Amino acid sequence: MTLRVSGLSAMRSGRTILHPTSLTIEPRARIGLVGTSGSGKSTLGHALIDDLRAQGHSVAHVPQSPDEALDPLRSMAFHWREAEWALGLQPGSADQKTLFTALKIAGGDLRKRPWGWSRGMQQRFVIAMALIGSPDLIVLDEPTSALDPVVAAATMDLLDRHLEGRATAMMLITHDLGLAARRVSTLMVMQEGRIVEQAPTAEILERPKTRASKSLTAHRNWMALPC
Amino acid sequence: MLKIDQVSVRRGSSVALEDISLSIPHAKTLAVVGESGAGKSTLIAAILGLIKPWKGKITWAGAAVSSCRPALVMQEPRSAFNPVLSLRRSVLEPISAQGTSVPGERIKRLCDGLELSAEILDRRPSEVSIGQAQRVGILRALIAAPPLVLFDEPLSALDAVTQKHTAKLITDLRSEEGFAALIVTHDIGYAVAHADEIAVLKSGRIEEVATARSFAASPQSSYGQTLRDAAISLGALDTAA
Ligand SMILES: Nc1ncnc2c1ncn2[C@@H]1O[C@H](COP(=O)(O)OP(=O)(O)OP(=O)(O)O)[C@@H](O)[C@H]1O
Ligand SMILES: [Mg+2]
Repeated sequence: MTLRVSGLSAMRSGRTILHPTSLTIEPRARIGLVGTSGSGKSTLGHALIDDLRAQGHSVAHVPQSPDEALDPLRSMAFHWREAEWALGLQPGSADQKTLFTALKIAGGDLRKRPWGWSRGMQQRFVIAMALIGSPDLIVLDEPTSALDPVVAAATMDLLDRHLEGRATAMMLITHDLGLAARRVSTLMVMQEGRIVEQAPTAEILERPKTRASKSLTAHRNWMALPC
Repeated sequence: MLKIDQVSVRRGSSVALEDISLSIPHAKTLAVVGESGAGKSTLIAAILGLIKPWKGKITWAGAAVSSCRPALVMQEPRSAFNPVLSLRRSVLEPISAQGTSVPGERIKRLCDGLELSAEILDRRPSEVSIGQAQRVGILRALIAAPPLVLFDEPLSALDAVTQKHTAKLITDLRSEEGFAALIVTHDIGYAVAHADEIAVLKSGRIEEVATARSFAASPQSSYGQTLRDAAISLGALDTAA
């Protein structure tokens, strides 16, 4: 089902942090959302999710900080049961073992609370929760920020395999253009609360048009271009 | 100089760090890279004295590390701050604790280098983006010119441009003020570009320690090789670095 939102916006403390934005997301779309820190990526992600849920669509969310998804006073097992319950599944029916093994968190103790897991493990646990069902859209906000490059690649591979053959669309919010280059077919570039550029990924990486995309692509490599 | 001498740390029944020896002289940066869950945050906790090593010793200039008031940049940016205070109050806290006054130009210089508008400091932690909170965490750590700074993934939430500005500020201040820096990072490109030495940690053990230059040219351990090659394939590092 094609997902449509129009006129999304957000104001905080009298400032507009998201200017009116409309989006159309086709089934199976692979969209990347990039932009400098503070440009409004997470805000757009939240507004999109709220609007789509209000329309009755199912949306899974991997927030930028695991703190947003995990209650510090509840065990990991509790969070997992809640996630199953939210999808109307019987407790224990999701294939936790396969997901955890693929994400290399099978060694985590589910009786513990979030702080008993490392930050990178928490991040992968939240990704596993988002992969339980087959939502219309999955929004991942910087899902690999606490992962080493090897585990990050394995995690994104799992996600690709998981989405294969499903109608679920994906929006990947990331500061990492190297990651986006391999995982999404369309890029949207944000600057100061607006989407200023949208095009196939290869086109933006090779021929960036706006100031925002030009500087992001130019600074990808640590050795090139001092600031 | 920070000296970590044959340190092992246990967590529950398992060994989290095994026989770690590292040192960081004044004005130098050591980057610790390695697997998710390899024990990098445990190492920071041990240096701060939050966990007691089971074997070995960690010292600063021969004394306890706490004697030098080390600064920490935490991995989870927003929860590092008191949610009800303005960021400015949290930032100034290390200074007020020392009873010294607040140098306005210093705050300005740090904010400029971190690409933060000063107005952001009047907000609460929940009112800024995660990347902004991460930079305010760096501001707070550096404000009182500490002799030792521990950074846990300081750039993880930042885009490429902001990363470079932030990294430059940290490196500039380090050479001017001479603090020793330990930087835990997954970003091999950053480690190679800004650290003097790189230590590779895997399953609680050190696989290799090398100068940044020789690590980029030819990592000695197979895990070091894997990490470097992953960075090259992501476009973060040149093959010829
Ligand atoms: N309550 C608030 N009051 C004022 N400004 C706010 C508030 N909440 C967020 N902002 C501002 O809105 C802007 C967008 O924030 P958002 O978290 O969406 O950015 P982002 O692109 O996700 O950044 P990052 O890459 O650092 O995560 C930021 O400049 C932030 O400071
Ligand atoms: Mg964000």
